[in-house]
Amino acid sequence: MKKGILWVLLSWLIVAAFVLASCGEAVPGEQEEEEEEEEEEEGLKEVSRDRTLILIWSGTEGRYVDHELWNPFSIGSNHQNGPGIFYEPLYYYSAFADEEIPWLAESYEYNSDNTELTYHLRPDVTWSDGVPFTAEDVAYTLNTLVDLGPAVRWGVDVEQFVDEAVVVNPLTVKIKFNVPAPKFHHFISYKYDIGVYMVPKHIFEGQDWTVFGHFDIAEGWPVTTSPWRLALSTPEQKVIDRVESPDEWWASKTGFADLPKVERIIYLPWVGETQTAEAVIKNEADASLDLRPHTISMCMEDNPNLISHTFHEPPYGYVDWWPISLIVNCEHDHFDNKDVRWALSYFMDRDELIDVAYGGAGTASLLPWPSYPSLDPFTEAISDLLEDYPTNEYNPGKGEKLLTDAGYTKDSEGFWVDAAGSRIRLEMLGWAIFEDIGPIISAQFRNHGIDASYASPPDASDRMDRGDFDGCLRGHGGSVAGDPYFTFRMYQSATLAVPGGHMINYYRWHNDEFDRLVDEMAITSMAEPATLKELTHDVMEIWLEELPDIQVVEWYHRIPMNTTYWTNWPTEDNMYVNGAFWHLTFGMILNELEPAQ
Amino acid sequence: MKLDYIAKRFGIFLLVIWLALTVIFFLPRFSTQNPIREKMNQEMLRGGYVQVGMEQMIEEYESKFGLNKPLWEQYGTYLSDMGRLDFGYSIAHYPKTVKSMLSEGLPWSIGLLGMTTLIAFGVGSLLGALLAWRRAPQVLRYLFPPLLVLSAVPFYLLGLVLIFFLAFENSWFPLFGGYSPGTVTDWLSISFWGNVLHHSFLPALSMILAGIGLWALTMRGMMVTVQGEDYMTMAEAKGLKGSTLFFRYALRNSILPQVTSLVLALGHVVGGAVLVEVVFGYPGIGTTLYHAIREFDYFVIQGIILIVIVAIALGTFLLDVAYPLLDPRITYRRA
Amino acid sequence: MNRRILAAMRYTRRNPALAVGIGLLLAILLFWGIGSIFVPFSRTSALSVPASRVPSWEFPLGTDRQGRDLLAVMIAGTSLTLRIGLIAGFIGIFIGTILGFVSAYYRGAVDTIIRGSVDVLLTVPSLLVMILVAVALKGGLTVEGMALVVSILAWVWPTRTIRAQVLTMRESGYIRVAQLSGMSSPEIIVKEMMPNLLPYLAASLVNAVAAAILASIGLEALGLGPMESPTLGMTIYWVLHYSALLHGMWWWWAPPIIIIVILFVGLFLLSTGLDELANPRVRRSV
Repeated sequence: MKKGILWVLLSWLIVAAFVLASCGEAVPGEQEEEEEEEEEEEGLKEVSRDRTLILIWSGTEGRYVDHELWNPFSIGSNHQNGPGIFYEPLYYYSAFADEEIPWLAESYEYNSDNTELTYHLRPDVTWSDGVPFTAEDVAYTLNTLVDLGPAVRWGVDVEQFVDEAVVVNPLTVKIKFNVPAPKFHHFISYKYDIGVYMVPKHIFEGQDWTVFGHFDIAEGWPVTTSPWRLALSTPEQKVIDRVESPDEWWASKTGFADLPKVERIIYLPWVGETQTAEAVIKNEADASLDLRPHTISMCMEDNPNLISHTFHEPPYGYVDWWPISLIVNCEHDHFDNKDVRWALSYFMDRDELIDVAYGGAGTASLLPWPSYPSLDPFTEAISDLLEDYPTNEYNPGKGEKLLTDAGYTKDSEGFWVDAAGSRIRLEMLGWAIFEDIGPIISAQFRNHGIDASYASPPDASDRMDRGDFDGCLRGHGGSVAGDPYFTFRMYQSATLAVPGGHMINYYRWHNDEFDRLVDEMAITSMAEPATLKELTHDVMEIWLEELPDIQVVEWYHRIPMNTTYWTNWPTEDNMYVNGAFWHLTFGMILNELEPAQ
Repeated sequence: MKLDYIAKRFGIFLLVIWLALTVIFFLPRFSTQNPIREKMNQEMLRGGYVQVGMEQMIEEYESKFGLNKPLWEQYGTYLSDMGRLDFGYSIAHYPKTVKSMLSEGLPWSIGLLGMTTLIAFGVGSLLGALLAWRRAPQVLRYLFPPLLVLSAVPFYLLGLVLIFFLAFENSWFPLFGGYSPGTVTDWLSISFWGNVLHHSFLPALSMILAGIGLWALTMRGMMVTVQGEDYMTMAEAKGLKGSTLFFRYALRNSILPQVTSLVLALGHVVGGAVLVEVVFGYPGIGTTLYHAIREFDYFVIQGIILIVIVAIALGTFLLDVAYPLLDPRITYRRA
Repeated sequence: MNRRILAAMRYTRRNPALAVGIGLLLAILLFWGIGSIFVPFSRTSALSVPASRVPSWEFPLGTDRQGRDLLAVMIAGTSLTLRIGLIAGFIGIFIGTILGFVSAYYRGAVDTIIRGSVDVLLTVPSLLVMILVAVALKGGLTVEGMALVVSILAWVWPTRTIRAQVLTMRESGYIRVAQLSGMSSPEIIVKEMMPNLLPYLAASLVNAVAAAILASIGLEALGLGPMESPTLGMTIYWVLHYSALLHGMWWWWAPPIIIIVILFVGLFLLSTGLDELANPRVRRSV
């Protein structure tokens, strides 16, 4: 009797285990059904390895969560993960070559007071389902963004300036602004991760943009003007195929550009540095997210076919548009004093930092904008100021003098205290990506008497937004070209030139004259370089004296590029665009890649 | 009388679930962190550009998710949603639904962890019982020290060491993942299963090795006690065969506490061994939950924990009901 | 005195687990004790020594990517990690003992509440609760903060097991006698039950310490630990962060793992040994 019941219980357990397991299996079974359907209808065609571009990128813990989201305006999606190449822009902009490339538009012009922008679109552009691309699509996109505002990506940016977009004729669209917006064209052009995507009106109309996925491979969604078609999208990979014949893409059909040589792009999720390094060494991948200097140099040693932007020489990459700085909360004690801020800058040994953290393969950041060709003239324009205010100088003596002059002394443990006895306590926040440099900076400060520490808590972003920090490490996503206005905008505490919500001022620094000058820059057209340089000089006179944040290093993209199968990657002697394939300019790279075999 | 008992146990089952759900609801909300803000910042971080109007976007999505309503109202909605098994949308991966995230990760966790737990239990318990059995082959005594060592090592560290020797130095096994990147998941294909098994070998091995030790030792403890009982001496005196004594008397009587632990362990399987999945890059529910916690993705956390709690509570409930059937010394009457 | 020592040594022959366990833990304590005399603590800070050095006479365990002397880190880390374990373990046993006694001795409503809470809390995966708490705390954690986070759940399992113990003991003869002779409940608890329970409590303490260390290492390895402290778990975190495996920096990832293994095996053997020392009848309860 007892034995029987024991067996009964055991069999319950086994049955339960099987039920659970088969429950689990039923679900992938559904997936498998879907895939069978897709395979029956389209069939993943055979494409040889030497015509395939394999990229290791993104994902969470080894798989994709957004594989069904191909609508880039939804806040859950990210154009970096694939959707970017499906939505072609009106204009591309390449920061390295400093040129604008008209794409879906042929030309543009502003009216005299910059309140109207007119685009002339290219004729004969069609969507993948045959419907022609017209001004209706552009106007629809912009007008819907104005309507939806904060519910979608880029909504507020567009809503701030645009009053309405009007279709003049199928190939001409006029955008009316509610304030002068001379930088709007630059804003919506594709560069780095900034740009406004144009969507097909006939598909998106009537859909809820916040949840619409634009994903249905059987239907041929996402619909696109590009030569790319989505073949497979699962948590494990995303496969994008090129169209077969030149007639299927407007650019190759009209002879504007050749069909890309890449026939298939496969996105694989990023698991970790170790696994990615292995994959590129074994030629199982052609490019990936950037690697650490030590890792990429090791990979290139193991596999000489791998190159970086600077080939096999340090710094093994190119400067990204994100210079890193140490932001101190200018509203907090000690840090409201510009002398303390300058002292911190003098205490930081950037060379040692780069040596230890990057093995010497990096550069310090002089100013809060990256050293790009079109911004270099502005750096030159203020070279006289930089003599008086050397932002990268390591000079503990100067730092100590500044502190003692400001009334600070060292306490018994060697830390600086003010007259009231309170220490300069600098708790720095950051994200995991800064853990390479954070603890080192903290150690440097401690060696010079600042009670510093570094941490990357999970609520770092939250605290940075709310100003609940003493110091934090951040990158500046500001100007890339034209003028430093977009960088200066980040330091403004208030603005009259741009209506609506303002960006968060992380520095918590206030200077009315600065705000006024930057507002002037906002309405100055990019076609007036002399005025812009003058304004920059005036602005920087204030900024450099105050030093709201301390410049640290430039951020490099050390992307491994595998030349076993593909060549003509963007490199330092072929700088047609920045090499990050996750940026909106990936389309440009795809058009240039040449097969090696 | 029996119905009384079952009903009371079922009542406790529901109570436990409700209490645990309440704890899980309030715990993340006690911190000041705002998941929407985190999400917006993550997006910004990826692109490097501070979105103008982030404050407005945060407000918009807070009302969308009902996060700006008073806490008690949210709690009420939460309970009714959980009751209907409507887990809603993930905040961090909007507009992905919690259910789809669960269905993607759950099979892997249950598969890997369920199997390894059962194997470790089976092998470990048998081994432990044999270790205590006086008439077992002597050679097994030598297994005792290594088992001890293994049971003491945290299994994810064991995993790291295994990765180094078997996957890195000697490429016999893959470094990470549930299957080779780029393969199409096709549960009907043998080669896919082979791929999956190849990838799950190392995580399974580290968990089994670490787990066997524990099961073996507790089982051995039980066996030692049981062996000293009078009825064992009686059975031996009766002249019963060794294997009968072992299986039908000793093992059977020692197994009860083990089974209790097994049920608890299986329930926890659903929670996912976070560290195993992180170390091995295994696409299970553990990493989903871990990321959800870091991102304060309330709805994902709630959904996953609900499943975990239900699994465990259900197991305990079934066991409670079955206990008296198994061991007549434990009656239905109140102790 | 000599006879006592001899007796103890004879006992260890019967109870090898206890001897080996104590031996291993002593070895670790010696490592820390002697090490901290010769290797200055300042070398555990970043930039204190040249970075990424292979083991040599000057740096027997090499250095890591941020300029820390790994030998110093191992020495400091052992003591820090042990400290976390001891603080959390003691808190856990302290609370667990009180709750367990109260619950088992007084029964009734108090017992139902305590037992119910224990059951509920055992249902929720403990690591996840600790992650939630660690994440919800503001700012960076210190070593003491880490100990407190871990101790939040450290009392649950001890409460359950101690309660079971006391339940059994409650029914035994000498307690009945004490009750009949008019001793008050607190007196009985302290004078009669506690002394008999001490060996068992000791074993539970060792278990609690081991569990606390395990939890703290887990949290730290996930990156939720005190970033500037050179604990063993943080070292594991840096090893994963910098892909030390990939770069073949065995001097970085092997020592912490070895120390952790020795620590755990030692604690485990000690706990087994103490179990044996305590009343063997004790083991039958669940």
